[in-house]
Amino acid sequence: MLEVKGLFKSFGGVAAISDVNIDFPTGSLTAIIGPNGAGKSTFFNLISGGLIPDKGSVTFNGESLIGRSRAQIIDAGIGRAFQVARIFPTLTVEESLLGAVTAHRRRAQNITHRFPLPEMRDRTHEVAEMLGLVEKLGVTSANLSHGDQKLLDIALALVLDPKVLLLDEPTAGMGPDERWRMIERVHELWEREKLTLIFIEHDMDIVFKIAPKISVLCYGRLLAEGTPDEIRTNPAVIEAYLGTSHAEAAV
Amino acid sequence: MLSTRPNLARDISIAAVALIVLLLLPYVWPSRMMNDLVIRVSAFALFATSLNLLVGYTGMVSFGHGMFFGFGAYAFGLSMQRLGVSIPTAILITIVSSALLGLVVGAISIRLKDIYFSFITLAFQMLLYSTVIAWVPLTGGDQGLMGGIPRPPFLGIDLSIESHRYAFAVTIMVVGLLILRQIVESPFGYTLRMIRDNTERATFLGINVFRAKLTAFVIAGVFGSLGGMVMALFVSGAYPEFVNWTMSGEGIFMIMLGGLSTFIGPAAGALILSLLNDVITRGTEHHGLFLGAVILLFALGLRKGVTDFIADWFRTRREASTRSGN
Amino acid sequence: MNLAALMDCLTSASCLVTQTTSGLIIGMLLFLVAAGLTLIFGVLKVVNFTHGSFYMLGAYLAYTVNGLTDSYVLAVLAAATGVGIFALIFERFFMSKVYGSNVLMQLLVCYAFILILDDAVKIIWGPEFKSMGMATAFQKPPLFIAGGIVPVFYLFLIIVTLVISAALYLVITRTRFGTVVRAAAVNPSMVSALGINTGLVYSGVFVLGGMLAGLAGGLAAPVRSLTAGMGFSILIESFIVTVIGGMGSIAGALLGSVLIGLVRSFGSIGFPLFVEGLMFLLMAVILILKPSGLLGKEG
Repeated sequence: MLEVKGLFKSFGGVAAISDVNIDFPTGSLTAIIGPNGAGKSTFFNLISGGLIPDKGSVTFNGESLIGRSRAQIIDAGIGRAFQVARIFPTLTVEESLLGAVTAHRRRAQNITHRFPLPEMRDRTHEVAEMLGLVEKLGVTSANLSHGDQKLLDIALALVLDPKVLLLDEPTAGMGPDERWRMIERVHELWEREKLTLIFIEHDMDIVFKIAPKISVLCYGRLLAEGTPDEIRTNPAVIEAYLGTSHAEAAV
Repeated sequence: MLSTRPNLARDISIAAVALIVLLLLPYVWPSRMMNDLVIRVSAFALFATSLNLLVGYTGMVSFGHGMFFGFGAYAFGLSMQRLGVSIPTAILITIVSSALLGLVVGAISIRLKDIYFSFITLAFQMLLYSTVIAWVPLTGGDQGLMGGIPRPPFLGIDLSIESHRYAFAVTIMVVGLLILRQIVESPFGYTLRMIRDNTERATFLGINVFRAKLTAFVIAGVFGSLGGMVMALFVSGAYPEFVNWTMSGEGIFMIMLGGLSTFIGPAAGALILSLLNDVITRGTEHHGLFLGAVILLFALGLRKGVTDFIADWFRTRREASTRSGN
Repeated sequence: MNLAALMDCLTSASCLVTQTTSGLIIGMLLFLVAAGLTLIFGVLKVVNFTHGSFYMLGAYLAYTVNGLTDSYVLAVLAAATGVGIFALIFERFFMSKVYGSNVLMQLLVCYAFILILDDAVKIIWGPEFKSMGMATAFQKPPLFIAGGIVPVFYLFLIIVTLVISAALYLVITRTRFGTVVRAAAVNPSMVSALGINTGLVYSGVFVLGGMLAGLAGGLAAPVRSLTAGMGFSILIESFIVTVIGGMGSIAGALLGSVLIGLVRSFGSIGFPLFVEGLMFLLMAVILILKPSGLLGKEG
């Protein structure tokens, strides 16, 4: 279980995250929603070692993640993908994934063998297949479509064998059809890999349809938690979030 | 695709053929000038290729790589002159001391990003340059290391003989490039490419960026200093120009001229620039004017290295053939 | 190394005055060059490696005009104007072609110009050291301040460079051009979003930077020996200054320049052969402690 307790983070005196407590039970699927600037990406950064919290604790299966290096947090089993796909533009899909597996298995400094080490291939191809990237393995990442770049970003996190996967807006910048394809893939991934999956999403249709549990962040605070039905009817959420034009457009 | 990736056996064969051709060259075409050119190009090829490990493969734009070239020349020359050791020992001293230099300078410089990294490497180079100029009793100041470097025979090799010197230089160059080639095609080489492409993402894959960059910096430093060592053997001395900023400038021009996206590009650039320098020096007193004009033509006209053009040509041809094949 | 001499100087009022004045001169002239360099970097994010050659060109232009007209004022004005025009040509026809390219291409274009200009100077003015000589107006007995010798020309130089610095400050803070320059340094996309012709701003910044460097070269000509390599040494010093002060920060450039000037003048007493080394050491230490420079913005 991933537990977040009393988490605080401020930038220049402005609180980005204040007193957030959320539990993510093993194998759960949670959507994090909230208006722009609610602190969602900051929240992910605090969990994945991208930022260090001012106060509070993040523990995974009882072990604290605070103050650990990114590498240690990855080893603990926390993986993440990014809102804007962060990929390696000049490398092919296969090279990127092989490189990630190599780093994960502590062979990044190896100079005596040729790249790729044969034992890295299985995991690479497994993940490529899971995300439908097999056809694209030889393609240079910069030449991938936007959607495939997002998939590659997720694949890069997935080859590291995470137990918890953080996806920052997996459907950002996609058309409606593409969104649903993406989210189906993510959902399938969650079921197959028995991951604890946490994702940030703006599209309310998607959130209410696939997330059994939703956490609402607003101005850095945890506004509400619950099932889609509870969130839909929560007066505080309606006032603070669903009342915005963004939600109106989505609902 | 990965199946056609160059393997070690192929690279060794290419290196062996190249070495044999270079070793036979003086017999096929006996020319003092040719020998001199090949030795100088060998020194510069090591220098430029090692610089490209940083610039091209890791995205670390060092403006101070000449520091290692000069350091290698002085370290080797001083070991031979002052310590009276054998040549293999002096080579070992050069390698170890330049690795230490790379470790110290790298550990400080790598913490700085982008243009600041470039500047601090240049600053360290100029610091070394100032030291060389100022420490007259040791280095001979602006006169350079005078009196020649002793070249006692070892293992049947006598570097005071021109043909031995030639064979020694090309062997060090070919073996050096082969090792560098192995490094850039190793898992570590791909770690460096990932850091170049997206440093932030690399850290989120658990890559220790600092450690990888420092390793690259030290390796590049060692091979850069071997280039300087070959040069010192060739001119039987070491001069402040080897440590001066122009050395770094020429190194960068070499890799741009030859192309930094191919492994052999920088070595090709070393050859082209050396030829160019010879032609210009022979044809005119106004070396800077003509070299400058050539650089301008390159930077504003070609904009790509020679081997980049060749690689592009092959790529277009291959793509055309796959398209027509479908 | 001669630490005893340095200690003697630091405890003697006359030596302090003399060395501080000469340090200020070095520093203020350096500031004129470094200010242009840092302006260009701040606005264009381009490192102008040719900037030292601008300074050299200014000195040689002043030398020639001084020889023709025997007027130091005209010589300095000609240096500023001439280099300003040269900077415009350099920016429009060469540098602007590689703005979008990587830093290595920009470096190469500058590298080419350094080589060409150094050679051109040798062809036009000859390879030997040139000396312009002091204008008659300044051929007066030096002043004595607290026992230290201060030539009249030095005082003049300090005043003039201070006035220019003040004018530069006004241009940057009070004019529309200055506002655009400051905005561009903070957020380049804002400038084009405001509908300002960025090409014009870029040229303007280059011309301003070039004029400052030319001015510095012209002003310094009477107290420096002119030679083809003089551009590169001042370039390196200006780099050190901009890096120490924080790239893009003009106030930082001023602070860095004075610091380097003092290091040079006092360092030449304590470490006569290692003055350059001292500057690089200072730069390395500051970069390690504060990577963005003394007055540079973080990140």
